[in-house]
Amino acid sequence: MMHVSGEASENLVCVVLAAQVAELRRRVDDGATIELLWRTSDVLTQLSGLVQQFASRCQETDSELNEQCRAAVTAEADVRRLLESLAFEQAQRNDFTCQTVDCVVTALERLAGTDGSASNGLLLDDLAALYVSEEQRKVHDAAARRFAIGATSGSNGTDACCREGPGE
Amino acid sequence: MPAILVLDDSATMVMSLSRVLKNAGYDVETAGNGKEGMTKLAAGLKPSVILTDLNMPQMDGIAFIKEARKNASTRFTPIIVLTTESSGQKRDEARVAGASAWLTKPTEPNDLLSTLKQLLPK
Repeated sequence: MMHVSGEASENLVCVVLAAQVAELRRRVDDGATIELLWRTSDVLTQLSGLVQQFASRCQETDSELNEQCRAAVTAEADVRRLLESLAFEQAQRNDFTCQTVDCVVTALERLAGTDGSASNGLLLDDLAALYVSEEQRKVHDAAARRFAIGATSGSNGTDACCREGPGE
Repeated sequence: MPAILVLDDSATMVMSLSRVLKNAGYDVETAGNGKEGMTKLAAGLKPSVILTDLNMPQMDGIAFIKEARKNASTRFTPIIVLTTESSGQKRDEARVAGASAWLTKPTEPNDLLSTLKQLLPK
């Protein structure tokens, strides 16, 4: 382990945290799970086609089997629709996660002074300017409010968590 | 089959959007950012509808929409913004730039497809 002190140490902590979070982003964005969901949907479509062919061949000879095949095709269509919705929604959630992580990485790099920008440090408004969604702003506001309450209660000795109302 | 140009910097999103659109019978062209999208348009791509994210590297969605509106072949092409952003200010910026519709992620495949149908030239 290398040892640095003072401001350099704080900068190093920010750089390391930024790298950790960036690594997390790479793992989230690999898309393997979503790709598997889409592939599963493809295979289901293929199987459904085969079952349909089989159903039409046994239509005359085995009405019970034919009915079971038709039911399986209907069930497959339902499952496939749900899978595709799930894959689509998951991709969008990944996207949101990645954008939030990007914001954290940028903020940490700016705090460390390694982001290449001329400005030093990061004010709350600078942080807010990095956001790309309303959800991020809501989290920001809630955290800032909690901090303000904590600071106030710290000055008069009251526990912050006790002063926060339900639903905050 | 109508062609849709999809712009998003997330590979997973591009894959998922492509799948939903192809399954619905559309031809799909993709680009990872606005600059790449403009390159495809300059090369002669004439999409029926453009679907774009806002936050992308190199050229973001708003800049792309402005550029696309300067391009004779896409001046009147419907452009749908699909983004995690939901602030009124960004929405106004996109509308002023020339966006035709706005969808906030996460959205359902059916919402996307019905918005597309409404905007496709009859």
